[in-house]
Amino acid sequence: MSHHIFILSPTDTPLYSLTHYSSKPAQSAGSALSSNLPSWSTSAFAGTLTALSGASSATQHHTSAGGGVRMGGGQDRHVIQMIANASLDAIEEVMRRENVMYLKSVDKFNEWIVSAFVTAGNMKFIILHETKNDDGIKVFFNDLWELYVKTAMNPFHTAHTPIRSTVFDSRVRASAKKNL
Amino acid sequence: MAYTQGNQQNARFSVLSSSSLSSVEHLSPNSSRFSLPNTPSINTTLGTPRPNLRPNIYDRHLNKTRTAEVSASSFAYLFSEVIQYTQKRVSGINDLERRLNTLGYRVGMRVLELNVWRSESTSKAPKREIKFLPALMSIHTQVWKAVFGKPADAIEKSVENDDEYMIVDNDPPITRNISIPRDMSQLSCSSFTAGIVEAVLDGLGFPARVTAHNTPSDTHPGRTTILIKLERSVIEREELLK
Repeated sequence: MSHHIFILSPTDTPLYSLTHYSSKPAQSAGSALSSNLPSWSTSAFAGTLTALSGASSATQHHTSAGGGVRMGGGQDRHVIQMIANASLDAIEEVMRRENVMYLKSVDKFNEWIVSAFVTAGNMKFIILHETKNDDGIKVFFNDLWELYVKTAMNPFHTAHTPIRSTVFDSRVRASAKKNL
Repeated sequence: MAYTQGNQQNARFSVLSSSSLSSVEHLSPNSSRFSLPNTPSINTTLGTPRPNLRPNIYDRHLNKTRTAEVSASSFAYLFSEVIQYTQKRVSGINDLERRLNTLGYRVGMRVLELNVWRSESTSKAPKREIKFLPALMSIHTQVWKAVFGKPADAIEKSVENDDEYMIVDNDPPITRNISIPRDMSQLSCSSFTAGIVEAVLDGLGFPARVTAHNTPSDTHPGRTTILIKLERSVIEREELLK
């Protein structure tokens, strides 16, 4: 089961991204389906599918249903990024109406649930996950928020500076391991 | 402005630690080119892979400087240097004000994130401000308190234009020690403050053009008005939210 985490600036430039593979087993029905499917259905894009076990289920589903039509096919890194960026529309709509920072399950795309966190300065944290885990994600977002504010205090950091600190990265990974 | 202070502390600490660290074996072979190979050089010690000895920003608690204050005289000195530096590089008053605004913007971005984190991170469901008037109120009190140690003196709404709001400070601490030459009477060094306000509004999603104006009165010769001119889109959104 994987999680994809993105930090996007107010102008939608990606500042940080992380793919986190959880040790917890996936419980969604999608993965059961993917394991039952015959191997021919995955052969067309086996490389990308095995790389993203979560993404593979939807692709296979589409392939088998649509008779080889490549709907959502090639679920590669860029597809994940596209899903995250596409959810920005939904996020921006909700954040105008609601005054909470943590937006639970704000968008859905195939099996991906998109949750987001918007800081006061309009920085957006986006996470793509497959199973509902509201509390864990909430704790994770809180950790990420604190780490981000600390980063922002650096006078050399601007709203458009990609975050490359190794300490930041290891702390985010540690928190993801604990909570996701 | 707590972060500026914190940064100074860090810098001081790293210099100290590097000088205590430095010994001959820490110097790179290149240093023998210099005439005094035993003098501790900051560059060489910084280059050594001893990251755990230098403090990093992620280990500092964000509330550490919550009640810390910066000396007014050192700030006045720093600010005067900022203005002199800027003035040498601009072509006129408007340009100078614009640059001060940009500098303030950098401060405002951080003030906003830090302040909201301090007040909201302990709550169960952290909130953002989505309505303009409460946001303006929080600038008037929270932001002013964090930056200047006191709330601003008044908020006014323009009678002529519905998109203009004003924050009035009778005696802005940052311009207390500045006297403007007569030929530059339009200049208001509170453009720095205007930049802070602009950044906070921008961050909260209320893009606006913020400028500072001198509006002296008999009792308050240093009275300054921060004029906020909101973008049309903000006004339209407020109408919809009503």
